[in-house]
Amino acid sequence: MSKAYFDYAGKRLLQAIVVILLSYVFTFVVVSILPGDPITNVLNNPQNGFTPDEIKEIIAAQGLDKPISVQLWNAFSGFVTGDLGLSMRTNRPVATLIGEVLPSTLVLASAGLAVALFLAAIIAYGTQFLPRRFGQGLLRGFPSLFLSVPNFVIGLVLIHLFGFQLGVFRVIEPDSFWATLFAAIALGIPISAQIAEVLVANLDHESGQDYAAVARGRGLGRTRLFVMHLLKPSSLPVITVVALTIGELLGGSLITEAVFGRNGLGSLVQRSVSTQDLPVLQAVVSLAAVVFVVVNLIADLTYPLLDPRVKLLGTQQRRPTAADDSSLPISKAVTP
Amino acid sequence: MNDRSFHLHFSRRRLLTATSALAFAALVATAGVTPALGEDGAHDGGDVVFLIDSLGDTWIPNNSAISSFQGHIWGHVTDKLLYVDADGKVSPWIAERWEQNDNATEFTLHLKTGVTFSDGSPLDAPAVVANLDIWYAGRKSEGINPIGLFPKTYDHAEAVDATTVKVFFKKPTLGFIPTLGYHGSILISPKTLASPASAQADLGKTSGSGPYVVESWKEGDYVKLVKRQDYNWGPAAVGQTGPAHLDTITYKLVSEPSLRVAAVQSGQADVAYNASPQELESLKSEGLTVATPRYLGFVNGWAINTKLAPYDDVKVRQALQAGINRQEIVDTVYTPDWKLATSFIQSNVPGATDQSALLAYNPEKAEKLLDEAGWKKGSNGIRVKDGKPLSLTLNSNPYLATSKSIDELISQQLGKIGWKVDIRAYDVVTYGQKVKYGGAGVPAYEVTRSFIDAGTVASILTNANNGENWFALDESDKALNDLRDKIAGAGSIDARKPLLDELQKYVLDQGYFIPRTQIVQRIYVQSPKLKGEVYNGVAYASYYTATKSE
Repeated sequence: MSKAYFDYAGKRLLQAIVVILLSYVFTFVVVSILPGDPITNVLNNPQNGFTPDEIKEIIAAQGLDKPISVQLWNAFSGFVTGDLGLSMRTNRPVATLIGEVLPSTLVLASAGLAVALFLAAIIAYGTQFLPRRFGQGLLRGFPSLFLSVPNFVIGLVLIHLFGFQLGVFRVIEPDSFWATLFAAIALGIPISAQIAEVLVANLDHESGQDYAAVARGRGLGRTRLFVMHLLKPSSLPVITVVALTIGELLGGSLITEAVFGRNGLGSLVQRSVSTQDLPVLQAVVSLAAVVFVVVNLIADLTYPLLDPRVKLLGTQQRRPTAADDSSLPISKAVTP
Repeated sequence: MNDRSFHLHFSRRRLLTATSALAFAALVATAGVTPALGEDGAHDGGDVVFLIDSLGDTWIPNNSAISSFQGHIWGHVTDKLLYVDADGKVSPWIAERWEQNDNATEFTLHLKTGVTFSDGSPLDAPAVVANLDIWYAGRKSEGINPIGLFPKTYDHAEAVDATTVKVFFKKPTLGFIPTLGYHGSILISPKTLASPASAQADLGKTSGSGPYVVESWKEGDYVKLVKRQDYNWGPAAVGQTGPAHLDTITYKLVSEPSLRVAAVQSGQADVAYNASPQELESLKSEGLTVATPRYLGFVNGWAINTKLAPYDDVKVRQALQAGINRQEIVDTVYTPDWKLATSFIQSNVPGATDQSALLAYNPEKAEKLLDEAGWKKGSNGIRVKDGKPLSLTLNSNPYLATSKSIDELISQQLGKIGWKVDIRAYDVVTYGQKVKYGGAGVPAYEVTRSFIDAGTVASILTNANNGENWFALDESDKALNDLRDKIAGAGSIDARKPLLDELQKYVLDQGYFIPRTQIVQRIYVQSPKLKGEVYNGVAYASYYTATKSE
């Protein structure tokens, strides 16, 4: 590996750290300037009948009367040293709360990604090799269809059909195999659309190339041609799309979890947003930022290794036009 | 001894003896728990799945908001000193009997013997004192709140002997006894109470003395309760004191309302909480059990801000009282399960009196009152005085799903007599922040609120004794203040009754409180297989007495 590559990698790593820190401060400031917090909200509820003195005392005990800058510093120094603090809403450690829900989300997100990749591969294969009269054109319309149907509609249809009508899974056991599979399908369908679009466009491009014509001329079978020759060059940009999709998997899991009654990161965020439970939101947003940045960093760093034609931007080889998009944290590496 | 040597040394004869002994033991054991058939074929055992829309926030017993989802779980895991039924009748529970002095400043509670918390410690007088102290004071610096509605007049309590507790108040506190049956006043083991907030927040570490204990739980997901076999101190008022019939109750969070109902319809769950009122008729016709218990408390209505013009004018308030067609609300938004408001407190509250005459729909009277107050109808149908339109801003209560529909209907009704009504809908947090009793720009605060004892009502309405000053009157209304003081100082229920009637008449006639309908805040859609549940004074379903058929 060249010095240029290490320069590039170092610069990207630094950028990633800055993005994570900025997202931390940004979340804190945004949530802090919103009115209310779970504690004050409960205390002010007249139904609870707290006196103003009691309210003042309880709020002081939680450190909520201190200036925002002090609160930010306390939270931030905790975050850096790995102490995520206590949830205001539940009074339980934030790390415990996240630890309880993370496995469910990881299972759903990875199953959703697997479903998305599988669907995208099938659509892509079909658009290349399905005879026109068997609906090749129709297949090309699938990605836009998938994108336009909201995730929760797919979820509700799947639940009513497979959960209630056919009894394949029980809604009250959302972590069972079948319930997880259908949740992953609901989550994976819209995401497969973007991957399929990119894959189909690249396959179209690659199959028009000379080498593909030569391969076909040598009498190579369709599947062989697809798997051995077309898939690899067409898949490279898919890495970038998949990396970008991580954010959507996390976001989409929020809705999917709510619909399927799964208790994951998405549901935790939803509960924390509705009560403005700052310590939890802070930790989850920072965690999401870390995951998103790290996944994209890995994508960016492996890209040049997989395709030697990729120019490393942000190094001495920077082209004048590349300066424009150098502020983007992702997809720095582009094919020429 | 490892497995292998075990087999080698285990002779045939010993094996036979052991097997027959085991078989005999099994017989004896099952004989003890053979399902006892009840009158209607009901038997012990069974598991219930209860689908709920939220499990609430924290499990620190005092910190959960009083009208909350946690009440369902606490109701099975903990007991109370007294039982209050759906009609507000107070009866013995952990306290077998009680006495009070003449001016209601000293109370003596006599406790049942042999009651234990699930951690093994006894529920005796010192345990009750520990609970009373924390209900009153909490440990605020540690993040453990007091119970907001617990009488602020509490002085102290002492354990006279193992089963006798004496409670002292600084002022007459007639409401103390009924408050002991409120769902906030739950008895928790002193060991749990002594633990730090972070430990109390873990439901699995909390010990109560109730008929069920928490087997497992996950925040925001589910709570699974399993019955206590040795439970023997249920409230006699529900007709049962021994262990519960159902083996387990699982509260499972399903946030989508249609899925909760569909899961009960398809037999995947037994109870769906909080269905939409419009669905109930068709669910009933499908054979599902629908329960809409009312709680003891205020009706759903508005506390009017008398500081804000034009609501400082009694005629405008009276016009508002007469300009609302309450029957139309019940007919349009609800089902016949909902009842017309007959006062500003629910009709099942002891001491509530029928004031329907003051709440009759009379648009002509309303128009006449507004004319008299100087509000003249303009060309667009909106009344104007001194160049200002007659306006009313409604902040729909985010806690009550039907609130906005009612606001829209009322806006049409009032529109006909010349009111310009604006409706605002905030989310829960913003609502809590912006909408307050007597708050600036809040002419009408929508009330949904439960209480046990009507005696607390008068002091809430005014600002005496940390009251909430609902109508922003401060101390200006002498008639109301006199009633408040007389009600607070009343030494007996009988002496208080006529005063409460007078209070209801006065508040409604002055147009301080504008009732909408009696409130049903908890709606249960239940499988017909599940029977025998009991609804207490705050409309929580208890499955302690329930059975489930196959």
